[in-house]
Amino acid sequence: MNILIGTVLIGAGALWLWLQLPNEEWRKASYRASLDTFLFTAPRVIVAVLGAGFFAELLPEDQVRQLLGSEAGITGVLLAIALGPLTPGGAFVSFAIGAAALKAGASPVAAIAYVTSWSLFSTTKIFAYELSFMGRQATMVRIIVSLPIPFVIAGIASLLG
Amino acid sequence: MLSLKNIAADPPPEQKSRRVFDGSFLVLLVLTLVGGIAVAVVSGWGRVGDILLETFGFLTILAPKIGAGIFIAATLPILLPRDRVGRLIGRESGVRGLVVAAACGAALPGGPMMTFPLAAGLGAAGADMGAVVAFISGWSLLGLNRTLIWEFSFLPSDLVWTRYLLSLPVPVLLGLAARAVVQRRPA
Repeated sequence: MNILIGTVLIGAGALWLWLQLPNEEWRKASYRASLDTFLFTAPRVIVAVLGAGFFAELLPEDQVRQLLGSEAGITGVLLAIALGPLTPGGAFVSFAIGAAALKAGASPVAAIAYVTSWSLFSTTKIFAYELSFMGRQATMVRIIVSLPIPFVIAGIASLLG
Repeated sequence: MLSLKNIAADPPPEQKSRRVFDGSFLVLLVLTLVGGIAVAVVSGWGRVGDILLETFGFLTILAPKIGAGIFIAATLPILLPRDRVGRLIGRESGVRGLVVAAACGAALPGGPMMTFPLAAGLGAAGADMGAVVAFISGWSLLGLNRTLIWEFSFLPSDLVWTRYLLSLPVPVLLGLAARAVVQRRPA
């Protein structure tokens, strides 16, 4: 159901955007850019989802539940926050890992903390792009002001139950 | 207001291709291969085959969404000139400027290779540090394309909603915090 709603929304967005392309030349440029993005994304998605499937199989459920489950409490959330920046690659990698961990018994709050921490502090993004484009000072300011966010979000999420 | 029209007269911008095989992809590939071999050792090759089938079944269901998302992520950047987005965010100030910056970050599809050059261009167009931080955080935490394509596909929807709604005010708050920090310690 989720997937269907998302597909319809994204599909409508894509159709609207396609209608904005003024002529054949722009359509060709758009197709070329799409193919380029597809060739870049497809291998990563396949490998990442497959890898997450393998790791979900290997994850020892007892230990995942112990370390990241609801009983783990604050320690589990802290561990989830620490794992976020260490995740390599794009969004699908972190979401696939989050899904695998949930399946193995991690708590939803730990998953939210992990995704939030990855979103803000992914080392891939920071070292490969942010430092080179934004410079050290701007990157540091953003990281410092963002530091409390995963903790605050996880805290409120756990209060919501 | 931003307009996508008024472009018929101009040719589309030149684009450069990206390398398909880079360091982070190789890391991912090695981890996956090691994972696959480990599953084979622990549970046998039959289980590896099952996971392969499950994965490709899942990706087949996702394929239309991924295809449309890739089209959007590839096409919007060529239709939407960077300097125009930069001017829109740069000329707004106050909390309104932070809201506009965060909303633009959330609405713009594409990965870090598109977002960070754009964010760096914002400063040149007149945006302050607060707007830049709000823009990057809006993209990081609230990116619509990413949430609709990937997050809802992998994670339970109540979890995604909780995370998204809790994160909603964050980019603007971070922008305010960044302004406070920069004011205290000027560059």
